[in-house]
Order: sequence, then C-alpha cells, then structure tokens
Amino acid sequence: MSAALRHVFLASLRRRRLATALSLLAIGLGVTLGLAVQLINSAALEELGRGMRLLAGEADLQVVGPRGGFDDALYPALAQRSEVRVASPVLEIEARLPDHEGETLRILGIDLFRAARVTPLLRMEVETPEGASDERRDQLAPLRPDNLFLSPAAADRLGLAVGDRLEVQVGVRAVALQVAGSVPDADQALAVMDIAGAQQVFERIGVITRIDLRLAPGVSRAVAQQRLNDELPPGVAAMTPAESESEVLGLSRAYRVNLTMLAAIALLTGAFLVFSAQWLSVVRRRSELAFLRALGLDRAALRRGLLVEGGALGLLGGLLGVVVAYLLTALAFRVIGGDLGAGFFRGVSPELHFAPVLTAVYLSLAVLAGLAGAWLPAREAARMIPARALRSGDEAEAYRAAPRWGLVVAILAVAGALCLLPPLGGVPVFGYLAVLLILVGAVLALPGATPRALALLRPGRSTPWRLAKARLTAAPGQVLIAGAGIVASAALAVSMAIMVFSFRGSVDDWLTQLLPADLYVRASDSSASGYLDPDAVSRVAALPGVERVRPVRFETLRLGEARRAVTLIARPVQRSSGLPLVAGMQRPGWVGDGARPAWISEALADRFGLAVGDPLALPLRGEADPFRVAGIWRDYARQQGAVVIELDDYRALTGDLRTNDLGLFLAEGVAPEAVMAAIRDALGERVSEMILPGELRTMILEVFDRTFLVTYLMEAVAVLIGLFGVSTTFAALATSRRKELGILRHLGLRRRQIGALLAREAALTAGVGLAVGLAAGGAIALVLVEVINRQSFHWSMDLRLPIGVLVAFGLSLILLSALAAHLAGRQAMRQDAVVAVREDW
Amino acid sequence: MLSIENLTKRFASSADRPLFEDLSLTVAPGESVAIMGDSGVGKSTLLNCIAGLEPVDGGRIRLGDTELTALDEDAFAQLRRRALGFVFQAFHILPHLTLAQNVALPLWLLEVGEAEADRRARAMLARVGLEGRADDWPRHLSGGELQRVAIARALVHGPALVLCDEPTGNLDPERAAGVLELLFERLRAAGAIAILVTHSRAAAGHADRILRLTEAGLVPDADQALRTR
Amino acid sequence: MSRYANDRSLRRLAAAGLVLILGAWLGALPGSGARAGDFAPVLPGRPLVFPADTGAHPAFRTEWWYITGWLIDEAGRERGFQVTFFRSATGVGQDNPSRFAPRQIIMAHAAIADAQTGHLLHAQRSDRALDPLAGAAVGRTRAWIGDWELALADGEYRARIAADEFGLDLALLPPGPPVLNGEAGFSQKTPDPRNASYYYSRPHLAVRGTLRLGEHAHRVTGEAWLDQEWSSEYLPEEAEGWDWIGMNLHDGGSLMAFQMRRPDGSPIWSAGTLRDGDGQVEALAPEQVRFRPRRRWTSPRTGAEYVVEWDLEIAGRSMALVPLMDDQELDSRRSTGVVYWEGATRLFEAGREIGRGYLEMTGYRERPAGL
Repeated sequence: MSAALRHVFLASLRRRRLATALSLLAIGLGVTLGLAVQLINSAALEELGRGMRLLAGEADLQVVGPRGGFDDALYPALAQRSEVRVASPVLEIEARLPDHEGETLRILGIDLFRAARVTPLLRMEVETPEGASDERRDQLAPLRPDNLFLSPAAADRLGLAVGDRLEVQVGVRAVALQVAGSVPDADQALAVMDIAGAQQVFERIGVITRIDLRLAPGVSRAVAQQRLNDELPPGVAAMTPAESESEVLGLSRAYRVNLTMLAAIALLTGAFLVFSAQWLSVVRRRSELAFLRALGLDRAALRRGLLVEGGALGLLGGLLGVVVAYLLTALAFRVIGGDLGAGFFRGVSPELHFAPVLTAVYLSLAVLAGLAGAWLPAREAARMIPARALRSGDEAEAYRAAPRWGLVVAILAVAGALCLLPPLGGVPVFGYLAVLLILVGAVLALPGATPRALALLRPGRSTPWRLAKARLTAAPGQVLIAGAGIVASAALAVSMAIMVFSFRGSVDDWLTQLLPADLYVRASDSSASGYLDPDAVSRVAALPGVERVRPVRFETLRLGEARRAVTLIARPVQRSSGLPLVAGMQRPGWVGDGARPAWISEALADRFGLAVGDPLALPLRGEADPFRVAGIWRDYARQQGAVVIELDDYRALTGDLRTNDLGLFLAEGVAPEAVMAAIRDALGERVSEMILPGELRTMILEVFDRTFLVTYLMEAVAVLIGLFGVSTTFAALATSRRKELGILRHLGLRRRQIGALLAREAALTAGVGLAVGLAAGGAIALVLVEVINRQSFHWSMDLRLPIGVLVAFGLSLILLSALAAHLAGRQAMRQDAVVAVREDW
Repeated sequence: MLSIENLTKRFASSADRPLFEDLSLTVAPGESVAIMGDSGVGKSTLLNCIAGLEPVDGGRIRLGDTELTALDEDAFAQLRRRALGFVFQAFHILPHLTLAQNVALPLWLLEVGEAEADRRARAMLARVGLEGRADDWPRHLSGGELQRVAIARALVHGPALVLCDEPTGNLDPERAAGVLELLFERLRAAGAIAILVTHSRAAAGHADRILRLTEAGLVPDADQALRTR
Repeated sequence: MSRYANDRSLRRLAAAGLVLILGAWLGALPGSGARAGDFAPVLPGRPLVFPADTGAHPAFRTEWWYITGWLIDEAGRERGFQVTFFRSATGVGQDNPSRFAPRQIIMAHAAIADAQTGHLLHAQRSDRALDPLAGAAVGRTRAWIGDWELALADGEYRARIAADEFGLDLALLPPGPPVLNGEAGFSQKTPDPRNASYYYSRPHLAVRGTLRLGEHAHRVTGEAWLDQEWSSEYLPEEAEGWDWIGMNLHDGGSLMAFQMRRPDGSPIWSAGTLRDGDGQVEALAPEQVRFRPRRRWTSPRTGAEYVVEWDLEIAGRSMALVPLMDDQELDSRRSTGVVYWEGATRLFEAGREIGRGYLEMTGYRERPAGL
C-alpha cells in the first residue's frame, strides 16, 4: 500500500498545487497565530510567574490585603503563632521617579534579618562607589532609611551606579535616596530598602503590604491557611504563592483565550478549505478511484489513502505554521514586547524557548484539521459503487446533497442551549462550542437554502441565467462545496466586525460618560507613590478659571470569602455626573438604614452574584463596613471588578484624605492650556501629570485598536484565504465540468456565454453563501457579545451593526467570486471543446 | 475453474424486472470465453457481477474453491487484488503515473516491494512490446499502445481470471487486431481464464468459446457452432 | 570579650544579619558610619549596680552576655558549650516612628564542642529589636530572639536555644555575686583609656538542664562562666585580633585573661582578673599577663593557623592551656563569612589540671588571596 499511497494518493496533492498551497496556507496561518500567541504569552507568563516565584522565595503562604497595605501590628502577631516558623514583612511601593519621565520603580521595603530566611534572593550587597576604598564600606548601609539597593536590571534601566542619588516621589514631593549597593540575585528590575526606611520615606508608618510566611515543620499548609484566614481581619488574606501568581496571571487569561480561539477559527477555515479541495479532488478522481477499487483496493484502504492526503496537508501546513510561529514570536519579542501590545505584561522581558508540548499540540491540531476536512470526501468516495463510477458522466452523483433541515434545526437548538450554560473555569467553552455549531449548522443549511433562495429569483430570460439556476437547483452539492468556504469566512468576518464595532462604540460612549471634566490632574498612576494631598487639591481648586474639582481616590480591596482583589473607587457620585449605570440608580432614594450606597461594576456583580439592593461589606479599615448596592455600572477597565463609593463616605471611614485623580471643571471660556500652566507652577512640573479627556479618550481608543489589530489582521487574512479557496474551487469545478461545458459548446453556446454561465453560478453561489453567512455571522456576533464577552470579561455592550462595512464586504465577496469563476471558466475553455467531449476516461 | 450457477441480477431502478435470470456457465482453467449480445442486455453487468463490483440478486459464482458470491465487499476486494485482472474499453491508464508505475499498480496493492514491482512491471511491458518505454508518460501513447499497457497491467500479478470489457472498443480495426492477438497470446501464456465481453465478432473470434447473452440466457453462438461443426 | 575576627577577614559576608552586627561591633573601625560620639562613653568610676546592670544598656553601642562552659551527660561524656546574646545599637532610625526602626540589633550564637564529633556544631540568629519578637530588656538580664532566650529570674539564669542540629535548655545558678573585671568593672583594652568597656564575670555557674543533639535529648550538669560587657569604643585600628580565656579553677577561684594583638602577633595590651578560692580578687596589670604560643594547628578547611596550646604567665605563675580538641574552629564562611576559634580548654599548672573553661582566638585567618 505504501507505494500506492505515495504515487496515487499523496502525489495527487502535487497535481492540484494551488488548492494544496491554499489549504497549507490556511492551516499554517491557524497554527502560526495560535502557536505564536501561546508562545508569546506562555513566555511572558512564565517570566512573570518565575519572577513572582523567585520573589516569593521559600514562602509557604503570603498574607496580603488592600493594595494600600494593612496594619503592621499584624506582623508580630503572626510571627509569634505556633504554625509560623519565620514571618517576613514587606512594604511594597511602586515609586514614581520624577526625573525619569514619571517612570516607576518597584521598591520592596524588607526586614533583612527576616527576608534572609524567606526570600534570600532579596539579599542586599553593600558596595562602595568606584574608586573609593573598600575599607570605607558602611556595614549599616542596608538599615539606613535613605539607602536604596538596585537590582542589576533596575540599575541598568535607570542608568544608575552605586553612590548615585535617585529621587522618588511621595505625594507631590520628591525625596532623594542614595544607591548604596545592589540586589545581585534578583533578575527583575526592582529595588530593596529597609522596611522602616520605606515606611518613613513614603509616609506609610504603621503599614505593610505583605507578610511572607514559612511554616513550622510538620504544619500542613492547607490547615494553616484555613486557620489564618479564619482569624485574619476582613480584607486581609493568606494565599499560597501559586494563588497570588494565578491572581495576577488570571487577569490576562480571558484575553489569551480569546486570541487562541481566533487562531482556532483560522484552523477551522483551513479545515473548510481542505474539505472543498478534497471533495473536488475526489469528484474529479471518481473514475480513477473506482478503477483502483476494481483492481482490489478495499474501502478502508481507499478511505485511509484519502485521509492521509488530508492529514499530510495538515502536517505540512502545521510544520510551516510552527516554523513561522517561532520566527514571528522571536520578531514580536524584539519589536513589540511580550504582551502583543495589550499592556498586560509591562516590564517583563521574556525569552523564546522551544515549547515541545505546545508545538506538538498545535501540530496535532493542524493534522486534525486536515483529517477533519478530508473526512467527508473520503467517506463519500468509499461509499461509491465502483461499477457505476467506472462509467463516465457520473460526477453529478457527487453534487447531490439532500436538504437536512431537521439536522440544521437540531444543531442550532443545541447551540442555543449551549449559550445558556455558565463558563467553565472562567472560560466560555460552551459559547465557543455554540459558535462552532452555528457554523456547522449554517454550512449544512446551504443545500436546503439554495433551491429556496433560487426560487425567490425572477425567472431569467438569458440562457446562461436559466442554465445556472437549473444547475444549482439540481446540484446543490456544488453550492455546498463552493459555498462552505464563503459561509465560514463571511460568518466569521461578519461576526467579528459586528462585535468589534459594538465594542468600540460602547467603549467610546463609556469614556464620554466617565470623563465629564475638562481636565484631569494626578501626581502619578494610582498604583504608584504619587498622590495629591488636601493642600495640593485646594491649591489647584483655587486657581483662577477652575470652577470646581472632582477628586477620586483609588484603592484595592479584598472582598468576600475568597478575598479576591477588587478596585475601590471613592469619588463624588450622587452630586456628580457620569456613572454608566446598567441597573439601579445613581441617586438612590433610601438613606440611613445604616448602610452606605455602593455602585458595583458588572464584573463584581457577576463574580459575587450581587444585585441592586443587596448588602455589601467593604473592609475599608480592617473591619467590615456595611454598604448596600445602589447600582450596577459598566466597566471596561477592570475585569477583576470595581466598586464605587462616595468620597465623603470613604474619608469618613478611613480618614484617608489623599486624592489620586482630580477632575477639573473650568469656567466658561477658559482655555485648559492656561490652567495647565498654572497647575505646573503650583504643584511642580516634575511631580504632576495632566491630561485632557479628549487626549485620554484618543489614547484609550488607540490601545483598543491596537489590541484588536491582531484580530483585524487575522480576520483579513482568513477572509482572503477563504476567497482564494472559493476561486480555486470554481476553477476546479469548471475543469471537472469540461465535458458538460463542451457539450454546451456543441449545442451552440458561445465561449463568452459559458464564462457568463460560470460567473452567474458563482455569483448565485456566493449570494446564497453570503446570505447564510450573514445570518450565521449575526448569530455568532450575538453569542460573542452576550455570551463570550460577558463570560470572559463580565462586561456588556450595546449591539451595533456596521451596515456600511457589511454591504461593502458582501458586494465585494459576490463580485470576487463571479470574477474568479469567470476567469476559471476561460481557463477551462481554452482547450478544445471537442477534445473535452471525446476524452472519456 | 470458474462456474456460475443460476445467477440473477435485477435492474437497480425496478427490483421486479430481472436483467438476467438463472444464468449458468462453467469455464475450464485456461479457457477463454467471449460473450456477445445486444446493447443493454447486461454483458458488462455480468462482468461486474463476476468481478464483485456489483452485487448479485441470486445464484452463485465460484472461482476454483472460492465461492465469490459468499464474500463480503472487502474480502472480494482482496480477491480481486490477488486473482483478477481487468482490461477496460476506456483503458483506465492513470495519466500521472509512468507506464511502469501503471503496470506496477496491482503489485503495489499486493504489497510487493517497490523495486521488485518495478522489475516485474518492466518485464511485463517488454512482453507486450513496449520495451524501453517504461518511463514514458501515458499522454505520449496511442490508444493501441495504451491498451497494451492495460494488458500488461491485467496480467502482471498472474491472475487466475482476466475480465475484458470491450478491450478494442476505442481502437480502429487495424490496431484492434494487433491488440487482440497480443491479448490472447499473453492470456494463453499466462494460463488464465478469460471472459471477454464484446460487440466485435473479430474480437470474439480469438476466444476458445463464444456465447451470446440473450433474454433467454447464455446460449452458444450460432456462427461458432456452425464453424466448429 | 569581643569574639569575632575583624573587618578584614569579613570579605565574603553573605547573610545579612551577622554582617551588621560585626559592622556595628567593630564600630571604631573606619567605614562603619556611626561614630562613637553618638553613643554613651565608657568612663572609669561608674559603679556597677546589681541586678540593674545585668539588664541591657541601650545607650552604649555594643553589649553581650556570653556563657561558656563544660557539660557532662548521664553517660559521663563531656562537651563544651557556648551561648551568646549580642546587642548592638546602630545609631540608625532614632527619629523614625516606625515599629521596624532598626535602633537595636540582637544576635544570638550557640555552639557545642564534642570530642567525638571532632568539630563544632553551631547556630545563630539575628533580628532587629522589635517587641515582642526580639530584644534586650533593661533592668534585668533578658535577651531573646523568638524562642531563643537568656533571662535572669529569681537569681537563676535560663538559656534556651533551639537549632536544627541541637538544642539547649539550661538553668545556670551563680554561686555568688559577680566578679568585676578591671577597675571595679572598668576594663581598659588598650593603652588609650577610651578603648574600654564595663565588664563583669560570673564564674562557677552551676548548670543543669537538657542538651538535645539531633533527636536525642541528654540530661546534663556542669559548670559555666558568664561574661557581660558593654562598650561604645572597643578596638583600635591597629588590633589584628585577640586571645581570651575564662577559666573556672578547681579550687573555687577563677581566672580571666586577654591580650590584644598587632598583626605581627605582639601584644598591644593585656589584662586579667584572678580570684582565689577564698574570694580574693586581684586585677592583673598588663605586665602580669603573658600569652606564649606553644603548639599550632592548621585548619584543613580554612588554612588558618591557630595557637591551640599556650604557655601562660599569670601573676608570676606558669600555666598551660590544652584544648578539649584541636578542631574548635568556627567556620561560617558560607553564612556570615566569620572564621575564628572558640573552644573548651583545660588549664594546667605544673602538669596538673587546675581549671577548665574556654579559650577564644580571633584574627588568625589571613586575608584570602584575590579578594
């Protein structure tokens, strides 16, 4: 069989080069994109995770709380517990560096005596400046509050050497620290200093952000964790390093899953192309295959041979894809960094490694796609009765396709039901399955839809028109073969277009609502060490031209049993504007049942199963303060969830008067530029950042577009390959019908009319395929918006149709198909029609 | 020995109307039988039934000790591979294989090693007068040459039974005569049973026995009976 | 006595804790940041008051409670042991309201000398003073880091050490009042009276308790020696190291003696305290104390050469020091980089053992090549 396999089956791939090349390309594309996304992400994640693991050192548990930290009295209490062998307190600061264009530096304030036993990689090494005598080494340097120790990566990034001074921002002040040495074992960009110094310098006396715990010998981690979590104050949690890691990594998971799914879609397109190509090839080789059967090739061997063709396509395409994926990944690391421009992995510099498992998985997926595409044609070929197929003129058999409405309805019903299921582990698996089923259902609907669609058309007068209609009505299988690719590409392109269009529009609206002020001022990113104190706020508010200001304070809290991190936003709500509510009220009627109002984001509502009116305990000061959900708002910025409360409530409960962002409403006719200049004078240019809402909006939409750029590109390539596939399909169809077309020529049809006939068939096929594809695309878009986005990111959006784009897309698809078929027909008719009829094997 | 007993085949379209009924025929080893008859009387179908390419509706066919009609489709395919050879009117020479590869095809299916298959195919090609053309492509050959390749292919694996369906139907009379002579010379050399379906009396004349398929069944050909007498 | 090698041998200081201690410890050396002037000076004429002076003196830069002694277990096997708590004021964080402000650093060190093991078992801990995790209390001896503790209560000391390889839980009962060294507790270290400490010893502590070696606990008894010493300016720059002994004499008396050495081995200063069996205390002047090397031993690990046997001349008497075993070197290069010799030693006079105690030698390891 092996010789026959090589010369008869595999060799056929070489004979239809274009179709083979396109199938390879589509499968290769799917593998490239899928694997590249995975490689880039897994390298970035691995790097991020490794960094976190290194920093967690030998800690068995890490006690964490709000981002702003928790009472450091917890440290001696925990350190003395019998379960704990060593406790190591950490105060982590993301310090804004006014002299480095607002860049931030991660500073870990540690107790070196403790860290040495838990996180030895944070060892500080005292160094003397170049040229200075070693004898002058200050052994107490690691304890001095104004000394900083830089990891080699940080020293490199900031261009600093031992003895240099580095200014860090505290509020709107700049404080100078001295580089006293290195953190030689840390390979990330970070700095270490004494915890007491960090508390003093950054005005965080009494606060730490983490306690790393090593447990006493024989103490079970699970038991200790449970016991600690029972006793820790609300909002503070003991987590395993793996949990902390997955909490951080989890943020980007939905994004990664979605990119991976797009890659799967490209693979699917590849499978469709393999299907079309194989089906046509089987039709054309019908008598050859029958003859082989007569020679004694059994059905199983025939099926195997045809499947091997598909598998070989998959394998070759897969190999191609793997090679390109690695090249692309290497390039991506060099050019855009490890996050595909989405900003999840800032500051991580991953390296490309060969990933054998991942590579094998994608190779097998590619082979699977090839096999799946070849499956139906192989089954069909094995089914044929050789005696009949040996006679010529039997091709029409292959284009018979019965309408299968029952199956279509059943598949779509299952798809509908799948949409109602919850996600699996945060991944909308069933949503994706529903998308796949809709696609399959749409393709299966083609044979049934074709006669119906054709019946709707006016009876045409011209011969080619009537012939085309008759042909398609009698051989809906032809539509199935040629149209499957169109349906698939149209459905996917349309659904993505609708989804992205809806998403972008919703984000735009959301930004408009969320950014009502004329100008925004801040001292640093809300996660960094800058903030505006009340004095700075009142100075800004008093500037001429400023009518009023709206301060916002950001914090991260841990909520609920699982103590998951959510963002807290404290700002004026009821006396202000701009919460994009989807439920509840911005000004709730109720007052004074002891609970204060809170407005939660959709993600929070989803994750905690909260509805308007539900009570909500927020651990703002180490104890649970009662709130009540007054409304649910749409938030595209924080997948982990966010809660808005009144700034006055926050200040009353915590006594924290700091402001992160300050929105400025200007008096009529005041130019923001003048106010900006005044603010720079008032606060100091180095320690403040300002932005106009218009710029911010543009920036955010740019990020949005960049994030979806990959999507757009993949979509375009998939559609392009789909179209090429359609045109090769028509070319192949025309060739396989040379005899039929030859007869028509004998009957007196002119060459031009044959071309017109084929073009019309193609246009009709494309039209039917497009109609079905549009319907399927709409349905898939609905699933993407209502199920997949909702379940992956927990946000809703308003469905919008990009009518113009869809119309242009549809028209060009039909025209291109007609053109392709026309050209293919001319190619097929170049040979003498008489020869075509007489040739009879 | 090939024996056909009470073979019945009905039309695929109407199960009630038999194409032929209760056909019986016995062919001795090494014997060649030509079957003639009007168009549509079922000659090719009879051949297909013997080859297992079409199911029968009644009766038995035996080749040597094997009851062909008892075989399932895949067992029949295996038997075809081993014991049957075909010569078609339409040649069925695969255009993308060289002549040697076309002839080697039955050997490939029998899992004969590629080198060995090639050697035997070349030897066979030499025996049908195509020595030195083993590496040519079919498109360079005339119809008569193509049918010679088909004869080589039908005999290369030493089949017990060779089925020929209008082997000269696509050839002009001059070429046809040459091909027929070669075919029967090779058939006799191989000692295979041959069933030949043809319209051509000239072709049938090469066979040891001529039968006519009529609505009444298989009857001896009157002309040949006369001639023999 | 101060117990560690000087700055020049601390090249490969790795783990954070001890480095600091030593830095602070050797504060008089250049480069250590804080100046002696930041701390209380040691002046002659200050009377030592007990038990108040058994507590910590945080105004002074350095302070230690140092216990050495011999133990005997149920099976009659003899071992040396040493337990030390150090306190070091850093001069850092005086103005810092943080609970972590590193004003005082506490360090503890313990070692077991077992002739059958052939080398020392030792362990150490260090931490910043942060109540209730670690500290040194004022008013009465109590120094602790976690569950390692030395405390004086009801006239008896209790020392508890729990390391991985060994553990100690000992009660140490002093037979009488402390013995003041130097001039009523003012102990001069060099010809310059600024290099001095307040220093008293408690010889002949009666020891009982438990020694754990690995998993095996032994009931032990024995006799030990406690030193408490605090100072702000201790070592002059020219000092390369020192040799020190604290011996419980069999006649009920005790002998403390030390010498400060230059790099060439010549003494900068020496002194001692000899108490006879009747309790008469004699402060020995520099010329009354002579250390003469008798036998050297080279460490196979570090290459350092130690004088493990000495001839002593104490107030005109000739004595000899013979160690329990030669290898009582503390090799902490992997953790703290500190290398010195500290071991259980017998004191002989005229060929007869007249006492037992500890000998400490620092500054014998040469600067490693290439560093």
